[in-house]
Amino acid sequence: MKPILELQELTAGFEQDGEWVNVLRSITFGLAENEILGIVGETGSGKSVLARAIMGLLPGNGRIRGGDIRFRGKSLVGLKPSEYRKIRGSEIGLIATNAKALLDPVERVGNQIARVLREHRGVQWDLAKQAAIDLLAKVGIRDPAERAESYPHQLSGGMAQRVIIAMALVAQPQVLLADDATLGLDATVQVQVLDMMVERCRQLGLSVILITHDLGMVAHYCDRVAIVRDGQIVELKPVSRFLAAPESEYSRELLESAKPKDSEADMPGFEVRSKSAQPDAILAVQQLTKIFATPILNRFVRAVDDVSFSIDRGETLALVGESGSGKTTIGQCLVRLLAPNSGKIIFDGQDITNWTEGQFRPLRRRIQIVFQEPYLALNPRWRVFDLIAEPLRLLLYRDRKKITARVHAVLEMVKLPISLTRVFPNELTAGEQKRLGIARALATEPDLLIFDEPTTALDIRVRAQIIELVRELQSRTRLSALYITHDLNSVRSLAHRVAVMNRGRIVETGPTAQVFSQPEQPYTKALLSAELPIERPAGTEIAQYEYNHE
Amino acid sequence: MKLVDCIYRIAKRPAALIGLALLCIQIVAVLFGPLMTPYSPVEANPLETLQPPSLQHLLGTDVSGMDILSRIVYATRINLLISIGAVGAAFMVGVPIGLLVGYYRGPVSGLIMRIFDFIQAFPVFVLGLALVSVLGQEIWNVAIVLAILFTPMFARLIRAEVLSLRERPFVNAARCNGATDAVILFRHLLPNALTASSVQISISIGMAILLTAGLSFIGAGVRTPTPEWGLMVSDGAQQMILGVWWDSLFPGLAIVLSVLCFALLGDELKTLFDPSSVRRRR
Repeated sequence: MKPILELQELTAGFEQDGEWVNVLRSITFGLAENEILGIVGETGSGKSVLARAIMGLLPGNGRIRGGDIRFRGKSLVGLKPSEYRKIRGSEIGLIATNAKALLDPVERVGNQIARVLREHRGVQWDLAKQAAIDLLAKVGIRDPAERAESYPHQLSGGMAQRVIIAMALVAQPQVLLADDATLGLDATVQVQVLDMMVERCRQLGLSVILITHDLGMVAHYCDRVAIVRDGQIVELKPVSRFLAAPESEYSRELLESAKPKDSEADMPGFEVRSKSAQPDAILAVQQLTKIFATPILNRFVRAVDDVSFSIDRGETLALVGESGSGKTTIGQCLVRLLAPNSGKIIFDGQDITNWTEGQFRPLRRRIQIVFQEPYLALNPRWRVFDLIAEPLRLLLYRDRKKITARVHAVLEMVKLPISLTRVFPNELTAGEQKRLGIARALATEPDLLIFDEPTTALDIRVRAQIIELVRELQSRTRLSALYITHDLNSVRSLAHRVAVMNRGRIVETGPTAQVFSQPEQPYTKALLSAELPIERPAGTEIAQYEYNHE
Repeated sequence: MKLVDCIYRIAKRPAALIGLALLCIQIVAVLFGPLMTPYSPVEANPLETLQPPSLQHLLGTDVSGMDILSRIVYATRINLLISIGAVGAAFMVGVPIGLLVGYYRGPVSGLIMRIFDFIQAFPVFVLGLALVSVLGQEIWNVAIVLAILFTPMFARLIRAEVLSLRERPFVNAARCNGATDAVILFRHLLPNALTASSVQISISIGMAILLTAGLSFIGAGVRTPTPEWGLMVSDGAQQMILGVWWDSLFPGLAIVLSVLCFALLGDELKTLFDPSSVRRRR
């Protein structure tokens, strides 16, 4: 079968300080009709540049330096801007990340979709508008006629993403590029959006390039997969064959990193815990409630609603839920960044709920938190050494030697080289910043550590390293931890017990294995079914194509 | 390493070079002015009034027969002293106020901001005239007027930065590490908030020179015979009708170049401080 889109030895790059840096190096692949190709790579692998190169939208001083992009046999490289414009959106559509930023904030979304159709197909305005509304219905938006009159800020993230998908589909392009199209959406919404998108594409016979870093997504939706590293394709083969036998070392590593670690029974600290007959709680939370007032709407939101749980010494409790479920609010109440409206927080037998900031400060040594966005939680003007030393200076000792020794010890604990102490946080990679955040929280040897989304927005391998690090800390230090996350996969690897949150309430609690294998509440079931495991779902084997152009 | 980097970056920018060169000229004039000028800046010579530029008096003489070049060189001292002193005082007062007002938002903070509104809404020259007529026509009073004018500007800049910085997670992180308000204010917020106002210092000095000259021009500044650029322009303007162009042109040029110098340097500082121009490690 002849491929509809073909890349031959494509090389593209950017000019930096007068030098060429190649971001894509001899990329060659073909996309067959009605095929879904997954392109997987880590940050900086060049996968987004690839999508832009195909669209003829390389930013700034980027240029294609060699090779060819052929669409239906016709070369796209060196096309005049006016001709490229005819192809963009009409023949090749792009769905990018962060839908809300892509929509024009001062135009109704229905008009934005209709405009694409008018531009490419010259349809009358009212017909185009009607087509936009029909399409909004097909991408699963309720009350499409009403929603078409909305402005982007009135839509949720999931709805905005659907609008972007509708916009990409409206002119019925032959090829669709989805560049991390569902990044940042909740798992349940992500599955809905992807299901809908793939179904529409299969119906219309579109070819799709699905660019992602999520191997579960590839396993679920794609026919073939290309692994990209440093701007080169490392491996390109049908998904089922890739999952069964990845060829290159790198692919194997990726696949291994994405899989959950062993079951609960071999978890570090598990045996110790089950042996001690009398569990003693380091932290008990009783009927905690936090209400936020929204001044403009004059409404009250119960972000945390009557929540009770406890954490034993040496135990890791995972708090899982989607965005807005109140899990981060609980973490912030525990470290007193927020004051709860009612309820009790009992730490090590003492009721600390109504302590003043002055009373509480000495206790901060014993309760530490690892913040969600590592980079934002680090003062950009401080060096690594001072960042880690801060809690030591403020809470523990004044002796410079002791501080230095402890900083070096925790750096070693999180496997960061001591040479990094003189460096500023913006010079670190995302993974190193996460480690730094953990190192700082560990510095004062806290009795309770709160992790707020430690694995979000990390590449597959870095994420696996962070999970490994937490597991190691559990076995080395008998850590007690509250692990806040929406990443169910990581919960399997390191939590003894799990509490599922929905709209401010805990709907289900239990040992991790039990909750995951036999969920009782419908919400837990929905959450679990939205996970995309890295296995081929049975019965969805799609006919494989023959490729003779390679 | 960093210094070399800095020098290299400056050398590539002509605006920075011009600004630095003008600054050097002024510094030389301030330090060695008396050694370079053959005439006293304040001694009248009735025999040589209103001489056009000649080899004897390179830029001519004024109505009292004083050498204009000497007066311009001497005036650099007074003008820079007033401007830098005023801006420095405004910075020292405005920055802490801005820091506190941004961090503790309450009725007192609101009141302070309204007072700043009042100062900034008041016409500069009317305020200058009023204050100088109360305090007396001394150079220090001109500096005080300017300091009062510039304080709200620095306070506002710092406050705006602090308002956005205080919501950043690293402030919460510091609190969780046991930081008190004082630690958060002076070790976390202040260093991060200073960039914009540091740039503003240079631009403000330029504005201060202009305002000093303006105040002198309307008679609310220093008094003759003190050599001051604005006053010289003002005195010379009266002779303009007689065809005496040199008396106000040259001090005027001095003002232009001095203001240009600090404006250029301010712009260059802005690009130098821009975080996006800082290279990453990899």
